[in-house]
Amino acid sequence: MNILRLIIGRALGAMLTLLLVSIVIFAAVELLPGDVASRILGRNATEVNLAVLRLKLNLDAPGWERYLLWLGGIVQGDFGVALTSGRRISDILADKVFNTLVLAGVAFLLYLPFAIVPALIQAIRRDRPIDHGMSIVTLLLLSTPDFLLASLLMIAFVVFIPVLPAVSTVTDATTVEGWARALVLPAVTLAVVMAVYAVRMLRDNLIEVLDSDYIRMAELKGMSARRVLLRHALPNALIPSLNITALNLSYLIGGVVIVERVFSYPGFGNLLIDAVQVLDVPLIEVTVMIAAAVYILANLMADIGAILLNPRLRSG
Amino acid sequence: MSSLDGPATRPNPIARLASLWWRSPQSLKIGSAILVFWVVVAVLGTLWIPYGYAQIRTGLPLEGMSWGHPFGTDQLGRDVFSRVLYGAHIVILLSFAGTVFGLVVGATIGLISAYIGGWLDEVVQRLAEAFIAIPFLVLALLAVATAGPELSGEPGLVIFVVALVYTPRIARMARAAALDIITRDFVTIAKLRGESAWSVMRRELLPNTTGTLLVEFSLRAGYAPALIGALGFLGFGIKAPMPEWGLLISENRALVLIQPITVIGPGLALASLIVGLNMFTEGLARILGRTVRLGER
Repeated sequence: MNILRLIIGRALGAMLTLLLVSIVIFAAVELLPGDVASRILGRNATEVNLAVLRLKLNLDAPGWERYLLWLGGIVQGDFGVALTSGRRISDILADKVFNTLVLAGVAFLLYLPFAIVPALIQAIRRDRPIDHGMSIVTLLLLSTPDFLLASLLMIAFVVFIPVLPAVSTVTDATTVEGWARALVLPAVTLAVVMAVYAVRMLRDNLIEVLDSDYIRMAELKGMSARRVLLRHALPNALIPSLNITALNLSYLIGGVVIVERVFSYPGFGNLLIDAVQVLDVPLIEVTVMIAAAVYILANLMADIGAILLNPRLRSG
Repeated sequence: MSSLDGPATRPNPIARLASLWWRSPQSLKIGSAILVFWVVVAVLGTLWIPYGYAQIRTGLPLEGMSWGHPFGTDQLGRDVFSRVLYGAHIVILLSFAGTVFGLVVGATIGLISAYIGGWLDEVVQRLAEAFIAIPFLVLALLAVATAGPELSGEPGLVIFVVALVYTPRIARMARAAALDIITRDFVTIAKLRGESAWSVMRRELLPNTTGTLLVEFSLRAGYAPALIGALGFLGFGIKAPMPEWGLLISENRALVLIQPITVIGPGLALASLIVGLNMFTEGLARILGRTVRLGER
């Protein structure tokens, strides 16, 4: 009962945040001082063009009315029509979101071993040269912005050791092997950026757990070192890292924007950048909204996960 | 009131600083050294660089590494090394200004929200959460789109975007730190003494949250060059021919197949600056007894 109430509370909070986000987005793009239509058209603004655009965006209606129409549409799954291409936004999004989900999914799968394996090695060999060495490497990678890391990986595996394609375009005709080759560099970039953020904390957590009494107990009763590490230490060290993983997921949603751009991967992030470049207002609104929704959902899952994993709440 | 934290009479500040420096962790020393290096380079870079930052045909286009052009030349024959040196002050000034702006606004909002509490606090927290829910790069792009084409490329817009991304995050941190202080006796006493809200905030809350805010500032400043670089890289930051490092990397990236050094050079500059900031943050956090998660976004 207690758990259920907590979870429902979190879910309602998440929905409230999402509603606020929608207001922020809509206000930012449409209600700011200055005429949206002339801002979009810039130098191409003629009387006729302006009038057509104002009609298209329904700009003569009051702001709150447009907001409610827009929100109502989104709730019903109607995202409206893109300004530049005139296509339905849901049609444009379908492919791109799928591609991005594939990229993000692969990146996330790579992230787990990228974070856990170095942390395990560091925790076992704590304060030895290999621990210090890996700490330095982690710090260096942590200080390398994603667009730079992507460019450097590209230099390494496209220029110096030419094994991978520089451009990760995928289409319907792309084979599985083509997909794999296209995904390696962008996914590895994202996974490394996420992993270095988690490694330090995971290492410290592991060391703390390894020093605890129950680990000593497990060792004393003759359990193999490997079993102690993987069955007892690791799961307990991972629980506090759930929070980090949620933060990493939120990074992932923004990170795909950069990485897709670097590798020309046809996904959601590239779509957002294109939309911002041509000021395609309806498309910007929807893409930003989706990014925020994914973040909020990821956080909600992490919260619920933490509630479910907390034995004190479970029994109560 | 917080007499346990420091001696009542203070010895001369230089001696204090010197002893603090010798006792400070290794990471703070290395970090400070790197930062001093880059500040010196940034200042000198505005006074003298081997070639003009926008001077074309300083050599053949797309030359490799040489003594004359340590980072090679780009497709217009501009000396990439000179461009990196000149760009240092742009990157540092924008990062610093944006983070300070975000810190001042965020800390003010956070402290007021914590002190007043009630529905105001609730509203502020909800709003901050909504802003944080938009991934920072997406929020930055939304701000750029809102500003429109006339403002695009303005240094002021870049500073504003950095501040916008940081304000809600810093506000949340400042509020949490202040809430921890507000329940202490000395704040209650100050209130009972009849001090005004402003006075309590300035004289009790602010000094006691300074440590947290300093670490937060340092942490955020460490990510600002990456954020500014990302904007420049995507073409939404400072405009060409100003050699902001992210923009520089994106310009030369098209030619990376021919001359990788034109990307590696500016990349090294950017990464080393951020390494310096991160090490400084880590050392500072250790001195002040705070925990910090480097790379927080």
